[in-house]
Amino acid sequence: MSSLTESFSKAVKPITEGVFAIGIGLFVGALLMLVWGFDPLRAYLELFRGAFFGKFQMATTLSYATPYILTGITFAIGQRAGLFNIGGEGQVYMGAIAAVAAGTYALPTSVHLLVTVIFSMLAGAAWALPPAVLKVTRGVHEVVSTVMLNWTCVFLCRYLAMGPLVDPNSAEKTISVLPSSRFPILLSGSELTAAIFASVVFAVVVYIILWHTAIGYEIRAVGLNPDAARYGGISPLRSTILAFMLGGFAAGLAGASQVIGRPPTWAIYGTLANITNLGFDGIAVALIGRNHPLGAIIAAIFFGGLYTGSRYMQMYARVPVEIVRALHGIIILAVAIPGLLDIIKKWWEKRRGK
Amino acid sequence: MNSELIVEMLSIRKVYPDGTVALRGVDFEVRKGEIHGLLGENGAGKTTLMKILSGLLPLTEGEIRIQGKPVQLRSTMEGLKAGIGIVHQHFALVPPFTALQNIFLGEEGGGPLSPLKLEEARKKVGSLIEKVGLKVPLDTPVESLPVGVQQRAEILKILYRNAEILILDEPTASLTPLEVDELFQILRALKKEGKTIVFITHKLKEVLEITDRITVLRNGKVTGKLPTKLATPDKLAVMMIGKKVVPGEIKKAKALGQPVLIVKDLVVKNDLDIPIVNGVSFKVRSGEIFGIAGVEGNGQSELVQAITGLRTIEKGEIRINGVEISRKNPVELYRMGLAHIPEDKRKLGLILDFDVAENSILGLHKEPKFSGRVGYLNWKKVYSYAIGLIERFGVITPSIMTNAKSLSGGNQQRLVAARELSKPSSLIVAAHPTRGLDVAATHYIRELLIEMRDVGKAVLLISADLDEVTLLSDRIAVMYEGKFIGLGRPSEFNRRDLGLMMGGVKAV
Repeated sequence: MSSLTESFSKAVKPITEGVFAIGIGLFVGALLMLVWGFDPLRAYLELFRGAFFGKFQMATTLSYATPYILTGITFAIGQRAGLFNIGGEGQVYMGAIAAVAAGTYALPTSVHLLVTVIFSMLAGAAWALPPAVLKVTRGVHEVVSTVMLNWTCVFLCRYLAMGPLVDPNSAEKTISVLPSSRFPILLSGSELTAAIFASVVFAVVVYIILWHTAIGYEIRAVGLNPDAARYGGISPLRSTILAFMLGGFAAGLAGASQVIGRPPTWAIYGTLANITNLGFDGIAVALIGRNHPLGAIIAAIFFGGLYTGSRYMQMYARVPVEIVRALHGIIILAVAIPGLLDIIKKWWEKRRGK
Repeated sequence: MNSELIVEMLSIRKVYPDGTVALRGVDFEVRKGEIHGLLGENGAGKTTLMKILSGLLPLTEGEIRIQGKPVQLRSTMEGLKAGIGIVHQHFALVPPFTALQNIFLGEEGGGPLSPLKLEEARKKVGSLIEKVGLKVPLDTPVESLPVGVQQRAEILKILYRNAEILILDEPTASLTPLEVDELFQILRALKKEGKTIVFITHKLKEVLEITDRITVLRNGKVTGKLPTKLATPDKLAVMMIGKKVVPGEIKKAKALGQPVLIVKDLVVKNDLDIPIVNGVSFKVRSGEIFGIAGVEGNGQSELVQAITGLRTIEKGEIRINGVEISRKNPVELYRMGLAHIPEDKRKLGLILDFDVAENSILGLHKEPKFSGRVGYLNWKKVYSYAIGLIERFGVITPSIMTNAKSLSGGNQQRLVAARELSKPSSLIVAAHPTRGLDVAATHYIRELLIEMRDVGKAVLLISADLDEVTLLSDRIAVMYEGKFIGLGRPSEFNRRDLGLMMGGVKAV
């Protein structure tokens, strides 16, 4: 069964590349710590202990991972369709605002959560629509339009969070959503809610759409070769808009997960702290996850782990959180250099050959 | 007559890194002060030879002598130092820069901070313009100049760099007839100034009008060298196309059926918004192969794109099985019975990062047998379909999960042919179906096309390979500058006639 081994090796390559990039990141991070006089072994031990060992640690990691999976998918779908959609940030904001709006609106308990989720996803998609339409009708590059809309969102959200939606009793956040709209908490005392399931289910659905439906086939075809796609009767316009919409759904859901899936406040902070940078970090998640929705799950958990564990690293190994940030950067760089693994492999083979 | 040899290229061989042999031992000489025509079909090696002479491409074997001295040209800079300048078919101008700025570009001299000596340049350019009558408005951005004037700016650019030998690659390809006349006047003026010119073309009329001597290339070899005085269109056509008699007996169509494809007064524009198909009408009946011959760039590609739904129709109409297709997209056309082997298999026919199985359903991915009613792809069926295709058509691939990228060129082409010829179709449009294939694969594809015809399909064959067109076609049209310059049965034309028509001379 050569086709089986073929598909196996096809799947293995991106995984080894991801792992390899993480390895380089950790290695260079260790060098950094040595230079500043920290013990890297100790630090990493604390990092991984704090991230993955123990119920609460794991729960915190997963709760961080919840939005990252989704924003990673936003960027990944764009890439699969040949787009550089960095509008995830703004779409997250819109999803979060929509979640506050729907979650504070009294609805029957049985449907409140579902309605809030759908409303948030639609809000995210609505914010992805203008760049999509501008792209296919006027050829406006999505980087320009999404960056501008991201800023529009920042100020719109600040205004809404500090103005119309502010909590009259506690001005540092918006009104908390009603309990009927909240994702159930999975481990009491932790921040982990059932939003993680929504996130994973969404990733699986996107995987199925991309690799098991005609629509996904078209999106991927357009992303790889728009001319051949057109020759094959595929409308690049339609696929572009679809990819934007799917990405918008994901980002909207990510925003919602930070409100209706985020104890203890169940609200947006006035500083927007709990929704800021999720969209941008999603780009890194997508890169490490090799633009694959299932890869995004793994990469998001790793990222969540880094955030959770960095607290332990700081507390017990006394390594400043900046080193962890540097680690993120180095890992992303290592992933972003295409074919780095191939280059190193060749070099290694050559060396061994001699 | 001044017969001093200024350029000698001796036994030049050129093998491209992918193994293509472009030149097989070419001897080429140019005398000082002459206009030398370099004639040949597409792929004959004209441009490769001249790129080597100008220093743009390294040669594989052979020797170049300029004014008797052996030289090694490793870059166009060194080419220019040796006095050789080339004007490419596609200009190398900075569009928003003025003509003067373009000419000056790269000749600034001095250090990075020294002031530009534009005014000195203006004087030098001005005197050049006066000498040879190359009228170019120096202070207009070149993007707003007509193509003919841009070309003059290009010529000025290499004159400014003191080129003694000017190579013009298909300089008339994008010019209007009036601009061609003006260009020829300029070339004569340059000759008077003592410049040497190499004029690359496939147009017989032009080469006879402007040159002093002619070298003809075919398939990487020199097939003729003669003074223009002794040349006739007939002689040149035979040298360019070859005398080879059509091999093998041709099984001609038996029964012709209804017209499947009807094209009427078709006008199509190219990407530059210039009409490139100029009123073409023809019919292809079921059970016949209709071949379109011609040198590439005469509108064949755009004609195919219009028929296959990839380019908008400016005027006229196209009908497939009686239905007007101007508003149909490719999938609708496939459903109406079109199969299309595209010109560029790698760019258009395949998605190289898709695997063989995914590629085998491109355009068929919405068929209910693969994606049901809701659009859920049934990979099992796709895989068994792909396996069927590669077995029946002998596509060599490690597995159907291998990316198309990793297949050899010939197998990529087989895969496209396999997919398209397996569609339930009534019209097959095959553009250069055997280009780049080895003998066996070529033979295989040709057999397939005949087989398709014999089961009653209509086949439209576009090929730059004259042998292929005459061998396979039941009727032939020769396309030249967007029109059919000739149309008839293969038996009505001999190779000489076809060669003449491909060069734009109407045979009677």
